[in-house]
Amino acid sequence: MRFVVAVKQVPDTTLIKVDENGSLIRQGVPAILDPYAEHALETALAVKRPGDIITVVTMGPPQAAETLRRCLEIGADEAFLLSDQAFAGADVHATARTLAVFVKRFAPDAGLVLCGKQAADGDTGEVPAELAAQLQVPQFCYVTELSRADSGFTVVQDYGDEIRTCRVPAVAVLSVAEGDLNRRLPSIQRFLDAQKIPITTLGRVDLMLGTFSVGLRGSRTKIVSTQTVRTERTGRVTDGTDPVKAALFLKEVL
Amino acid sequence: MLHIREIEPDSPYLIDECKIRGYGSRLLVPDSEADVVAAVKQAATSGVPLTVQGMRTGMCGGGVPEGGDVLTTERMDRVTGVGHDKRGYFLRVQPGVTVRQLNEFMRKKGYAVLPSVTPGATEALTSENEPFFYPVDPTELNGSIGGNIATNASGPRTFKYGPTRDWVRRVRVVLSDGSVLDLVRGQLQAAGRRLTVPFADGPREVQLPSYQYNRQVKNTAGMLTEDNMDAVDLFAGSEGIFGIITEADVWLAPAHPLISNIVFFPGDRDAYAFARDFQNCGVMPEFLEFFDSGSLNLIRASRKDDPRFTDMPDLPDYAGSALFFDLLYGPDLPVQYAKLAPLIAAHGGSLDRSWCGYELKDRERFFAFRHSVPQTIFEYVARLKGTSPGIHKMGTDMSVPLDRLDEMMAAYDEVLKRHGLEYVIFGHIGNGHPHVEIVLKNMDDLVEAKKAYTELAERVIALGGSPSAEHGIGKLKTDYIRLMYGEKGVADIRKVKETMDPQWILSPGNMVVR
Repeated sequence: MRFVVAVKQVPDTTLIKVDENGSLIRQGVPAILDPYAEHALETALAVKRPGDIITVVTMGPPQAAETLRRCLEIGADEAFLLSDQAFAGADVHATARTLAVFVKRFAPDAGLVLCGKQAADGDTGEVPAELAAQLQVPQFCYVTELSRADSGFTVVQDYGDEIRTCRVPAVAVLSVAEGDLNRRLPSIQRFLDAQKIPITTLGRVDLMLGTFSVGLRGSRTKIVSTQTVRTERTGRVTDGTDPVKAALFLKEVL
Repeated sequence: MLHIREIEPDSPYLIDECKIRGYGSRLLVPDSEADVVAAVKQAATSGVPLTVQGMRTGMCGGGVPEGGDVLTTERMDRVTGVGHDKRGYFLRVQPGVTVRQLNEFMRKKGYAVLPSVTPGATEALTSENEPFFYPVDPTELNGSIGGNIATNASGPRTFKYGPTRDWVRRVRVVLSDGSVLDLVRGQLQAAGRRLTVPFADGPREVQLPSYQYNRQVKNTAGMLTEDNMDAVDLFAGSEGIFGIITEADVWLAPAHPLISNIVFFPGDRDAYAFARDFQNCGVMPEFLEFFDSGSLNLIRASRKDDPRFTDMPDLPDYAGSALFFDLLYGPDLPVQYAKLAPLIAAHGGSLDRSWCGYELKDRERFFAFRHSVPQTIFEYVARLKGTSPGIHKMGTDMSVPLDRLDEMMAAYDEVLKRHGLEYVIFGHIGNGHPHVEIVLKNMDDLVEAKKAYTELAERVIALGGSPSAEHGIGKLKTDYIRLMYGEKGVADIRKVKETMDPQWILSPGNMVVR
C-alpha cells in the first residue's frame, strides 16, 4: 500500500529567538524537518512492509526540497514539492485544499495519510483534521503508536487525560504526536542513494487549482493582529533563613 | 564579594571525576578578579593553601584539595567581550564559563549584544554569514574554560585543531603574591629557557625545565618547556600551580557544516587497520574515534536495562567495533565517501553498515553516544564504590606516534590479559590515543591494574609516546613525571614552583609534591 506523509520545513525552534513584537526571528536560523513530521515519517516506516511505498509531500518554497531530501535519506521512496508563488500565505483551509488535491490527483491509491500533530513553527494543529475533511476520510489525532491489524491498523491516541486504542480502516488521516520512538539514522549508502532520487515539483497549474483556491487568496482566515503576552517576575526575594518571616512574606505576596 | 562557607565532609567541592575525596576547611567563592586577589593575599598571609577548582570534571584530582581552602571560579561565568586580531575573532571569557555554555552561546549568537574589545569586532562577527565556534572539544562539555586552559585540555577534535593551548590568545592571572598579570600571546617570551615574570615586588627569573617536552604526540605530562616559550604557555597546562586564571581570550574558528558518521567493522583489528590507513586516503575527518567490541557490548548491556539509554538506533548484531568521524558536509561529500568506500570494504565493513546524520540534533545524538561509553564505566565504578570504597576508576590516557599504534594495541592486549583484567578500549584513535578503561571488580583487580598501568606507561614512553596525553597529572599521576623526565625533571618543575609560589599556596600537590 501507499503511505503519504505530509511534512514541513521549519526553523530549528531550539535556536530561534523572538523579537520585541513576539514574532519569530527566522533569519540565520537553520531550517530542519519539523520534529512532529519526522515522527509521522518514522511511524510510517515502522509499519512499512516490502512492496509498500512511502510518498512524502510538502508545500513550501524551493528550499523545502532539502527537507524532502532528508525524508528520502531516512527512508521515504518518493517525494513531491508543492511550490508556487501563488501558494504563499495559505491558511489552514488553503493548505489542506492544496494537499488534498495533491493526494487525489497524484496519490489516488493512498491508504494512510500521516501528518505531524502540528508544525513546530505554526502550531495551529488544524491541517490534519481539515485534510481529512476534504478527503472525506476518517481522522485519528494525537497518534503515539501505530501497528498493523487484520485489514487495517490499530492506533493508540494520547489525549492527555485519556489514552485511546482504536481500530483504523486502511484509508484514513493520522496526526502523529511524539511517541516513544527510537529514531533511525540512515546508513551512508542510503544517504548517497537518496541523493539520486528525483524530487518532483508541482505548481498550481499541475494540480489544476484556480488562483482563488490557493495561497492567501484561497484563505478563509485573515490575521488582524497578533499580541504578545508577557509574564514578568517581580523579583521580590526572601532569604528564608527565618521561617516565620518567610511565611509572612509569602502571605503578603499571595 | 568573596563568599566564604565551611566545607562539610560530604561536600561536592571535595571531589572530582576521579572520585577521590579530599578534605579542606573553607570554600571561597569569588565573584570577580578582585575577590580572587583578596583570597590569594589572605592565603599568602596565613600560609593556608588554596586549591583552585573549575567545574571539577578533572580525571586526576587536580581540583581535589588536600587540606586548606578551596577556591571555585564557578560564579565567574560570563562571556564579556568580542575581539578581532590578525589571527581572527576571539571571545573574552571568565574562567567559570563551561565549554557547553560557550558552544550554546556561539550557536545562539549571544555575542551580538557584547561589547567589542577591539573596535568594531562585535558588529563584524555579527555580520558574518558563516557561523563561528570554539573548536576545542574536551568530550566533557561541562568543564570550565579556566580548567580547560589550566589543564591544556584536548579531545576528539584535537585531531584537527590541536589542544586548548593553541586557542588561548591571552590570560589574566593572579600570582601567588596577589599581583595580576595580563599576558597576550606574543608579548612576553622566555630567552632560551629563562623567563622573567613581573611580580609586585619586582621581576622573578624562572628557569624553565631542561627536559625535552614531547610535542610529537598528544601530551599533557608535566609543564610545557621549550626554548623561547611564550609566557601564556607557562599557565596553559600548569594545573593551577603557578597562578589563578581570572580571564582569558580564546580564538574562534569558522564552523563548517559537518556530517557525523559511525562505520561498523567486524572486529577490533579491522578498525585499527582502517584507522591507520585512513590517514593516506585523501579524506580529512574532523576527528577519528574508536569503539572496541567491549565498549559496544557495554552500550548493548546498558540499553537492555534502559531502552532510552542513548537516543540511537539499536546496535546491529554484526557490529564488532566501530569508528566515529565527522566529515565536511559539502557538495563533494559523495566524492569523499567514494574514496572511503573501498578502504572500508577492504577492512570488512561497508557503507551499508553505518550511520550518518548532519542535522544538529542528530549530530548531538552521535556525540551523546560517544560520551556514553566513559559514562557507563563511571557509573559502573560508582556502583562498586558502595561495597569497596577504596576503588577508583582506572583509565589509561596514553598516546603513541601513529606508526607505533599497532605495537601499542598489541601491548594493551598482552599486558592486561596477563594481569587477568577486564577492559574496554575507545577514544581518540586518530591521535594514537585510545583510552583503555580497566573495569575493576574488586580490590585485587585494583592492585593488578596498578602494576599493569605502570608497565604500560613504560612501554608507551619507550615507543616515543606520552603516559598522560590529555587528562593531565593532577595528584594521581605525579609518578609519571619521574617516569618521563627522571628525578632531574621533577626537581626542575619543583624549582619553577618555588620561584612562582615559594609558600606553595596555589593548588599544592598537583604535578609535583613539595
